[in-house]
Amino acid sequence: MQPTATISRLKAAGAPPRLSGFAQWADRHFKWLLVAPAVLLILALSVYPLLFSLVVSFINYDFQVPGHAFVGLKNFERVVFDPVARWSLWLTAWLSGISVAIEFVLGLLVALTMVRSFPGRGVIMSILIVPLFISPVIVGQAWTLLLQRPFGPTNYILTQLLGQEVTIGWMTESPWLYFSLIIADVWQWTPFMFVILLAGLTAIPPNLYEAAELDGVNAWQAFWAITLPHLAPMMLLALTFRLLDAIRMFDTIFIMTGGGPGTRTYTASYYLYTVGFTQFHLSQATAGSWLFLIFTALVVMLLVRRLLKTEPV
Amino acid sequence: MAEVRITGLHKRYGAFHAVRGIDLDIRDGEFTVLVGPSGCGKSTLLRTIAGLEESSEGTIEIGGEVVNDFRPRDRDVAMVFQDYALYPHMNVAKNIGFGLKARKMPKPEVDARVAEAARMLGITPLLGRFPRQLSGGQRQRVAIGRAIVRNPRIFLFDEPLSNLDAQLRDEMRGEIKRLHQDIATTMIYVTHDQIEAMTLADRIVLMRDGMIEQQGAPLDLFERPASTFVAGFLGSPRMSFLPGTLTLDGSAAAIRLSEALLPVAPGRSLNGAIDGQAVLLGLRPEHLTRAHAATPAQGTFRYDATIDLLQPTGSRSYATFRLAGAPVMAELQAHDVSRPGERLPIDINMNRASIFDAKTERAI
Ligand SMILES: Nc1ncnc2c1ncn2[C@@H]1O[C@H](COP(=O)(O)OP(=O)(O)OP(=O)(O)O)[C@@H](O)[C@H]1O
Ligand SMILES: [Mg+2]
Repeated sequence: MQPTATISRLKAAGAPPRLSGFAQWADRHFKWLLVAPAVLLILALSVYPLLFSLVVSFINYDFQVPGHAFVGLKNFERVVFDPVARWSLWLTAWLSGISVAIEFVLGLLVALTMVRSFPGRGVIMSILIVPLFISPVIVGQAWTLLLQRPFGPTNYILTQLLGQEVTIGWMTESPWLYFSLIIADVWQWTPFMFVILLAGLTAIPPNLYEAAELDGVNAWQAFWAITLPHLAPMMLLALTFRLLDAIRMFDTIFIMTGGGPGTRTYTASYYLYTVGFTQFHLSQATAGSWLFLIFTALVVMLLVRRLLKTEPV
Repeated sequence: MAEVRITGLHKRYGAFHAVRGIDLDIRDGEFTVLVGPSGCGKSTLLRTIAGLEESSEGTIEIGGEVVNDFRPRDRDVAMVFQDYALYPHMNVAKNIGFGLKARKMPKPEVDARVAEAARMLGITPLLGRFPRQLSGGQRQRVAIGRAIVRNPRIFLFDEPLSNLDAQLRDEMRGEIKRLHQDIATTMIYVTHDQIEAMTLADRIVLMRDGMIEQQGAPLDLFERPASTFVAGFLGSPRMSFLPGTLTLDGSAAAIRLSEALLPVAPGRSLNGAIDGQAVLLGLRPEHLTRAHAATPAQGTFRYDATIDLLQPTGSRSYATFRLAGAPVMAELQAHDVSRPGERLPIDINMNRASIFDAKTERAI
């Protein structure tokens, strides 16, 4: 075909038609009309509550004290000087830290095992990821049933295994109750680590391992020289996701220990919930939420910055 | 330094028979090239030699020792992959030396060997860089360096140059050939590029569907192909194949292509071919030249050709014309012909023509 044919057809289409003043205005601003619903929705559902909560944290919004007077930093003060609040923050940090660390190690080990193909792999894989689909409330309930004295089978089985009477209060005795909370979390979330790490592992070119094998590199060295550097971004991603989720730990606490005994298992979320919705100190809870948000943001910033820094290999 | 002997080798992937009965003897220090179309089992054969695939049947001997049950690392072979397979977070020096370090060689000796390999490959200035900071050609040099520092008994290459652009490929090809001349270790090299095969090999092993179609010195395969498959695979542009019939008249043999009668070189053995047998006449472009002498030389057939396609390359021009209905390509001097449609006399050198049985496609 001759190129001129194309040109003349373009010419036939002609220049864009001239528009009237209003049409021009509409043409230029129509895009705003299109995004307006989404913007309004975000403003209404996300920005407004956020700003409102900021206001609430500086005024009196306590259901037991009438009026909405401005109280300055008083609400924040109450949280900062509340020993339960400090304990809950500390508990949140190490409980989520330990849970996520265990989930990471277990998830990595399972992923390393499952990356090879063997008969029955598909079935085992499906079973492994089942916990991910179960509501945390159900998971908490199930573990309670398994552990709780006197009807849970755990103590009975331990008794049989150890040959001596075991009477542990898994939901009431320190340190066992932390143990129970960690077990429930690990059981539910290890599959998450496993799935992400497995995806990372399958993306490593098998040639690298073959070349290493020919080089006489052993499995341990190959793990350090090949697996780890290739998997590092995925590891960081999985850890970030999991940690962000774990520090908001609430549902299993709510079901398994109810924060007890006393306030021993108050996590940050559980503490804020109690202050706000069982004691109705709403403004104090809101102030606490803002403080917690700042802590969380610090952690997130560190992790995400690290995540963005990892270079592609 | 070792010879390789492969006997009755088969490889099956489930029901799929990828390598079907390979017998191959490779002498110590020989440069063997496995070549063939995609999917013919070259990589599979190479990987089986390396131990990365288990053979289903047959034995592999390296240096007189059956290595079937040896792990890859214990076979003392080194392999260079198409996609380099470098350790991403190690610099070039560490990449090259890692295999030695893993085998617990003392550090000063590792350093000395790495330096020597880098010098041979001209990558000394790159030793501190990371793989992602290197071009494809440089990466492949590093991969080769990693192989040579180990001083293995055999080098295996699986299409090492396929990821490089044409010019770099030519350059690296020369370097690999020089490397072989310098260190004289047995090398087995897989490619699907016939130019690489011709230029590098002491011996070409041409594979087809998991079997060896023909093996031998490059020129042997080129000049005396055992089948139309080999003849068509080696040589670029391809050999032209013309269907005809063999006529035997006393001691003189000829090939009839409709009206034309092309004489077979006298004294050429015809291996019991019979009069009237359907054959394919194989002509390479370089066997056809523009006639300059008044009368054709002994053993040439002159044909008045009308050129219908012309492909100049600068130094030569490839001209296609029809001979008895089939297209034939001639390699002419650049100025022998100026445009399609021209008529000119072409001399066909029948002394070098190949003849194949039309049915079996094997050489006669
Ligand atoms: N792991 C495997 N499982 C099943 N079939 C395989 C496997 N590896 C290779 N094959 C098959 O074996 C045949 C030979 O493969 P191979 O890789 O040796 O071909 P090749 O000659 O190297 O081809 P190419 O030039 O494309 O690299 C192909 O048909 C391929 O599909
Ligand atoms: Mg291949």
